[in-house]
Amino acid sequence: MISIKSITIKEFRGIRDLTIDLNGKSFGICGPNGTGKSGVVDALEFALTGNISRLSGEGRGDISLKEHGAHVDRRNDPEKAVVAITADIPSLRKTVTVERTVKAPSAAKVTPADADVLDVLRKIAKRPEIVLSRRELIRYVLATPGKRAEEVQALLHIEDIDKVRGGLQKLANAYERQLPYVESVARDARDLLQRALNVSQLRSESILSASNVQREILGLPLLQELTDKTSLTDGLNAPIRALPQTIQKSQASADLVATRETLEASFNAEVTRRLPELLSAIQSLARNPLVKQGMRLESFLTVGIELALQEFCPFCDKPWNLDELRKHVQVKLQGLKDVSRQRQEISQKVAPMANVCRRLASQLTALLRHAALPKQAIPMPVVSGFSAELYKMADDLERQPSLEEITVLLGKLVIPADLNTDLDSFSKAVAELPDSSKQDAAKIWLTVAQERLENYRSSMRKLKIAREQANIARQIFDTYTHTNDAVLTALYDEVQKDFAALYAFINRSDEKDFKAKLTPSMGKLGFDVDFYGRGFFPPGAYHSEGHQDGMGLCLYLALMRHLHGEEFIAAILDDVLMSVDSGHRREVCSLLKKEFPNTQFIMTTHDPIWLRHMRTEGLIAARAALQFRKWNVDTGPTQWDERDVWSEIGECLDNNDVLSAAGLLRHYLEYTAAEICHHLRAPVEFRGDAQYQLGELMPSAISRLGRLYSRGKDAANSWGQKEVGEELLKREAQFARFAQATNVEQWQVNSAIHFNNWENLGKNDFTPVAKAFQDLLGAFSCAKCNQYLRVTPEREAIEALRCDCGQTNVNLKKK
Amino acid sequence: MTKTGEETTGAVSDVPRRVFTDFLDALVAKGIPTDIISRLRKTLLVDHRYSDKALKEAVFPETFDL
Repeated sequence: MISIKSITIKEFRGIRDLTIDLNGKSFGICGPNGTGKSGVVDALEFALTGNISRLSGEGRGDISLKEHGAHVDRRNDPEKAVVAITADIPSLRKTVTVERTVKAPSAAKVTPADADVLDVLRKIAKRPEIVLSRRELIRYVLATPGKRAEEVQALLHIEDIDKVRGGLQKLANAYERQLPYVESVARDARDLLQRALNVSQLRSESILSASNVQREILGLPLLQELTDKTSLTDGLNAPIRALPQTIQKSQASADLVATRETLEASFNAEVTRRLPELLSAIQSLARNPLVKQGMRLESFLTVGIELALQEFCPFCDKPWNLDELRKHVQVKLQGLKDVSRQRQEISQKVAPMANVCRRLASQLTALLRHAALPKQAIPMPVVSGFSAELYKMADDLERQPSLEEITVLLGKLVIPADLNTDLDSFSKAVAELPDSSKQDAAKIWLTVAQERLENYRSSMRKLKIAREQANIARQIFDTYTHTNDAVLTALYDEVQKDFAALYAFINRSDEKDFKAKLTPSMGKLGFDVDFYGRGFFPPGAYHSEGHQDGMGLCLYLALMRHLHGEEFIAAILDDVLMSVDSGHRREVCSLLKKEFPNTQFIMTTHDPIWLRHMRTEGLIAARAALQFRKWNVDTGPTQWDERDVWSEIGECLDNNDVLSAAGLLRHYLEYTAAEICHHLRAPVEFRGDAQYQLGELMPSAISRLGRLYSRGKDAANSWGQKEVGEELLKREAQFARFAQATNVEQWQVNSAIHFNNWENLGKNDFTPVAKAFQDLLGAFSCAKCNQYLRVTPEREAIEALRCDCGQTNVNLKKK
Repeated sequence: MTKTGEETTGAVSDVPRRVFTDFLDALVAKGIPTDIISRLRKTLLVDHRYSDKALKEAVFPETFDL
């Protein structure tokens, strides 16, 4: 997608002014802790994304990019904190510059600001995973399955997949949840219609038969078929509503009987009888403190016990007994499961109560309709109020209220004292009504039956729609889950194979048959790895920390390769392999070079050996590295730079600070002597800890170059190249003089460093020491390109002594 | 952009897009009404809206009350 050619950093984090030329190639940045390496990483991330992940996100508290992105001395001038990069976008064949300031991080100045360029930069800004630190790397490996799934999902940008899954599940549940309510309404409508028709079964024939009896009385044509459009009142001239006072006595009486039955049988017998027991169960459960903590506590305990791997508490550092702790937490988790089960049982008991409320409310409403018909309506205020209350209560109980809310709602579930008074008044009023004529009774019968038929038809239509919707919503969710699982399983399958192959490569000496399992399940991502053929275990179970670092890197690389494919062309790895030993780091270099030849890796490390491995394995070119030597708040990071070192030593001597001058010279020589030995393949007595002293390195380097000149001379003579031989003779002699000078003075360096006689050394004593070493180091370098001479090839028989620019090219092979 | 307005991507593996596309294809095979699939396609692949509300509007745009 993008490869970085150079970066310029000003007044940003710990850096005052720094430009690095990366030339679009892999690059190493090395330096002790606190010398500014991560500042460069932050700057790269900032330039690419407008953000610094170290200063944002979870657990960052009061730290922010806006407040703390600029150098501490520029915290009030965030416009001075500027990072600019020049980068190639190979897919567009364009070179772009991107400049951002901490003051306006999202307002990047892009040149050229072409639409396609901005599109690429937008995509990169959405993908901060281009920067990986060890902290992030280890999260993929050691996280709990749930957390790992989150981390990997974030890397793959698949959080949205889970979001959609959740949304579709809610939708399916919501439409299924409303079904019982719609079914209950339809059932009530059917009961009312059946009562109006006075039939035992609701069939077309029975409806037609009952209706035609009434129609025959009115002399209306008999209905032949019952369709969804058929009206039982078809042919009736005057709508019965225009005739008040006409309650259909038998119908009203039947409805009243049904209502009283429901009140007695369902409400009193069922609800009232079970209510105390249910309320007691709710109150008992509500008193359990686990109910309120609920899901959060369960989640906390589950994660906590998975992370409890040490013998002491990570909060207070007091020792604990891990076995006892685990047992204690298991008991709590079991308690939470019991609470969850009890809560479900209560919900199951509450649902029928809501249905009874709705049925009773529906029947009371039918009575109210009768009561409203006469010119002098029958007053039923208690029935009216109670009916409305029952509807509301049914609605409230169906929306899954809390335990406290259920208690309050059920507490109101009491039949009003005056309800029977209303019902008795209604009964009396109906009884006192004069009997209607046969014709009027038939008209009223047909009108009521038609109203209830319409109501039944409407409720059945709604039920049909509700069932269809519930079915579709469930099918959509099931289809999504199935598709999602299939895609993710295939994805993780590919990633796990790639991961295992990458890891096996860097550990091929003893884990060449390594395998891994990434198992997605219910929003979690299990991760188990093979341990030397003994079975699959979590990565942290048996593998060492160094192996875990390697796993984290390999999982990251596998995921990135899967995500970006050929477009995975840049990654910034911030000190990611600090626990990996040198042998495996060498293999990591080989892996990166072999498997990701088109990816620009920008890697930081505090270990110069690791940097050297990057070079020797060809991951980075000889000059594609930066070595920070120190940092201070005023100047920012300082690199090992020849000119700076000698002028800094000169400044120290001007101030008669011989101690500082000697220390600086000693440190610089340790650094350069190691570099020279490496370049010349000078033999040094092996040290397992790679901690070589100057006294071990420099004599070997001097001896090596002298012998190389001598060997070059012999080779030139064997080829009859007299002039070359003479030139080499001169170089050899000059080099010997410089070396001799340092031998004479070297004791003074040591004494100054070891503080033995430093007070005896003044500027005049130390100046020749510094000069001698400056001359000597110059003799190890090319006068033109200023790079240290090196032998080629890097392994096997030596053939030549060269420099980077080609000015020096000494053949070492005899004829 | 494609002719249906869907945003294209340079990434080799845009996992959400692959899931959504496979999902929509599977809905066609399941016989889910085409108007629902069409609205879901627009919501997921064009508008990139993934909220509960957006999904509800895509699946059943009419009110929840029947």
